Amino acid sequence: MTLALQLKQARKAFQGHVAVKGLDLDVPKGSVFGLLGPNGAGKTTTIRMAMDIIGPDSGEVLILGGKTDKALRDRIGYMPEERGLYQKMVVEDLLVFMAELKGVRPAESKRRMTPWLEKLGLADWRKKKANELSKGMQQKVQFIQTLLHDPEILILDEPTSGLDPVGTNVMRDAMIELSRAGKTLIVSSHQMATVEQMCDRVALINKGEKILDGKVSDIKASYGKNTIILAFEGDGSFLKSLPGVVSASDSGRYAELRLSAGANPQEILKAAGERLKITRFEVVEPSLHDIFIERVTGEAPKPVEAAR
Amino acid sequence: MNTILVIAKREFLERVRTKAFVIGTILGPVFMAGIIVVPAVMASKLSKSVSITVIDAEGSLRSAVEDSLKSGSEPPPVTAQDRVVGRARNTGVTKFNVRAPEGSDVAAQREAAKQAVLKGTLDVYVVLPPTVLHDSKAEYYSKTVTDFEGIRAVDRAVEKAIFAKRISAEGIDPARIAALTRPLELKRLKVSEKGEQEDRGVSFLLSLILVMMIYVGTLMWGQIVMTGVIEEKSSRVVEVIVSSTTPRNLLFGKLMGVGSAGLLQFSIWILALVAVSLASGSLAFLSGADLPELNPVLIAAFPVFFLLGFFLYASLYAAIGSAVNTIQEAQNFIFPVVLPVVLAMVCWPVVMRAPDSTLSVVLSLIPFMTPILMFLRMSVLMPPVWQIALSVVLTSATIALVITIAGRIYRVGILMYGKPPTFPELVRWARHG
Repeated sequence: MTLALQLKQARKAFQGHVAVKGLDLDVPKGSVFGLLGPNGAGKTTTIRMAMDIIGPDSGEVLILGGKTDKALRDRIGYMPEERGLYQKMVVEDLLVFMAELKGVRPAESKRRMTPWLEKLGLADWRKKKANELSKGMQQKVQFIQTLLHDPEILILDEPTSGLDPVGTNVMRDAMIELSRAGKTLIVSSHQMATVEQMCDRVALINKGEKILDGKVSDIKASYGKNTIILAFEGDGSFLKSLPGVVSASDSGRYAELRLSAGANPQEILKAAGERLKITRFEVVEPSLHDIFIERVTGEAPKPVEAAR
Repeated sequence: MNTILVIAKREFLERVRTKAFVIGTILGPVFMAGIIVVPAVMASKLSKSVSITVIDAEGSLRSAVEDSLKSGSEPPPVTAQDRVVGRARNTGVTKFNVRAPEGSDVAAQREAAKQAVLKGTLDVYVVLPPTVLHDSKAEYYSKTVTDFEGIRAVDRAVEKAIFAKRISAEGIDPARIAALTRPLELKRLKVSEKGEQEDRGVSFLLSLILVMMIYVGTLMWGQIVMTGVIEEKSSRVVEVIVSSTTPRNLLFGKLMGVGSAGLLQFSIWILALVAVSLASGSLAFLSGADLPELNPVLIAAFPVFFLLGFFLYASLYAAIGSAVNTIQEAQNFIFPVVLPVVLAMVCWPVVMRAPDSTLSVVLSLIPFMTPILMFLRMSVLMPPVWQIALSVVLTSATIALVITIAGRIYRVGILMYGKPPTFPELVRWARHG
C-alpha cells in the first residue's frame, strides 16, 4: 500500500527530555488516521516532525515516500493545536495570504473559499476582521485555511477541541467529505468519540512511545465482546463487586462493566436484575475511550496485541 | 510567487493600511513644516499694537524715546539655525501707539496713567526718573509683565535715547557713533570644487532632518518588526507559516515588507518637505543660489543608508521578538541593541564640527554607526568615495552576519514558549540554531 506518511524510528529530545522515542508509524494513503494519546504524549512533536518544522534527532520522516521539502509540504494541509490568526486581518485576505504561501493565486483561492465559508456558516464574516470572530469561528477559518490549496494530506491537531456540539458536527461532516474525496486525514485528538466514529486506523502513543497501532475494527475485536452496558433504576453501587466484573464505570443510572475472561454476561444480568430495575442490557466491544484509558493507566487485563 | 515575496507583500500592505501609518505619513510633513513655517507665521501674526505713555521726570528724554518707539527697532535677522532649534529670536513685532502724558506734573501724570491702565484704556507707561542718565534705571508699568518682546523693545528705545543723550553730552554726533558701531554681518561660504557658495544654514537644516529620519526610522521600524514577531508568536500564527515556508524566508520577507513601508513613508515625507520648502517661500534661503544644496546625491543616498540601518537593527529586533513572549519581556534585551544608535547620536556634534577628522572617519566606518554618522558626514562635507563605499561594504557584511545569527535565534525562538531565555541561552541558540 502507498503510504501518505511514514516515520521510521523517529526520535526527538528537547534539553534532556525525550519527547518521542524511536517512533514507527505508517499512515496509508486515503485513510482517516487517528493519532491518540494523553497530553504530553508526543503527538504534537510527532506532527511537527512530519511537517518538517523540527527535524528528528535520528530516524526518518517520509511524506508520500519522499523526504519533506517545500514541494511536498505544499501537498499537506496543517492545522496546529496552538492556533491563531492575524487578529487585525480581514478573513478573506488572511485566507488568500495563507493559500498564496502554498502557491495558490489570489483569484483562485477566493473562488475556492466561497463554498467552504458557506458550509461552515461563515459567509457573512468574509469581509470581517479576525478579531471580530468568536473563537469557534476563528477555528473554522483556520480549518478552511488548511485546505484551500487542495492538499492530498490533512494533518489536523485537535480539530474539534473547543467547539460546541453543533460546531463539532459541522467540522466532522466536513472531514468526512474530505475523506470521501480521497484525502488522507491525520487527526490527533484525545476526544475518543469523534475519533471512533471517523477514523479507520489509529495509533495510540504515550510518553513518546507507540503502545497500540492498527485498524479500529481490529483493535476492538482483539478485546472481544467483554463489556456490558447497563441502564437501570436503583442503587447500582454493588455492580463492581459482582463476581466476574473487573471494573465498572458507574454514572448512577448507567454503567459500563468490564468482564474478566470467561465470565458469563447472563449471570451478571441475573444478579443485577434481582436488585435493580433493568431498562437496557447490551454486550458490546469496549469503546476506544475505555481501551485508551486502560492502556494509558495500565489498569485492567491486557488484551492480545492488535493485528497490524 | 516566492514565499519571501508573499510575506513581504502582506507585511507591506498590512502596515500601509493601518491608521497609524496614514496619520503618521500625513502628520510627519505637517510637523516638519510646522517647525520651519510656524515661527515665521507666528512672527507676523503676533505683531500687536501697544498703547504707551512715557512719563519723563528727567525732562529731556521724552521726545527721543517716543520717536524711537514710533519708528520701531530693527529686530535681528532670524537664521536657519534659530528656526530649527526653535530659538526664534523674533517672536513678534510690537507696534507702539504713543500717547502724550496727561497732567501738569510728574505725580499727576503717574496717577492719570495708572488709572488709565486700570481702566484698560492704556497698556503701558514708562517712568524715567530724574537720575536715569546717571544710573540707567527706569520703570515699566503694565497689568502684565510677560510681554517680553514689548519689554525688550521699550528697553531698547529708552536705552537708545539715553545713549544718544550721553554721547552728545560728550560732544560727539550720535549718528556718527551708530555708523561706526554697525553690527557685523558674517556671511558663511562653503568652499567646494564647484566654487564658493553662500550657505545660510541649509546643510545644517537638511542634515538634521535627514539624520533624524534615519535615527527615528531605524528605531521605530525596527520596533515595529519586533512587535510583529511577538504578535505572530503569541497568536500562534507562526507555526502555520513555518509549515509553509522556512523561518529564514519569513524573517527576510518581514524585513523587506516592513522596510518598504518605512521607505514609502519617508519618500512621501521627503517629497512633501521639498515641496513645502519650495512652495512656501517662507524659506528665503531655499531659493536661487542655495538650491544646489538639495544635493541629489544626498537624496539618493538616503534610502541606502536608511535600509542599511533598518536591516541591521530590525534583524536584531526580530531576534529579540522571537525569543520573548511579551513586549515587556523584550525591554531587557532592547537596551544593548539601541546603545550604538544612541552613541552615534552622542558623537554627532563631534562629526558635525570636524567631518573629515580621523575620529569622524573611524566613527563613521563602524557598521553600527555608519547609517547615521556616514550619512551625516555626506550631508556636511562629501567624504571621499572610497570611504562611503567601504562603509557600505562593511555594514552590508555586518548585516549578513547579523541576519544569520538573528535567523538562528529566530528559528529556535518562534516555537519556544514560556520563560524568556537568558543571554547565554541566546548565544547557544545562535551557535546551534
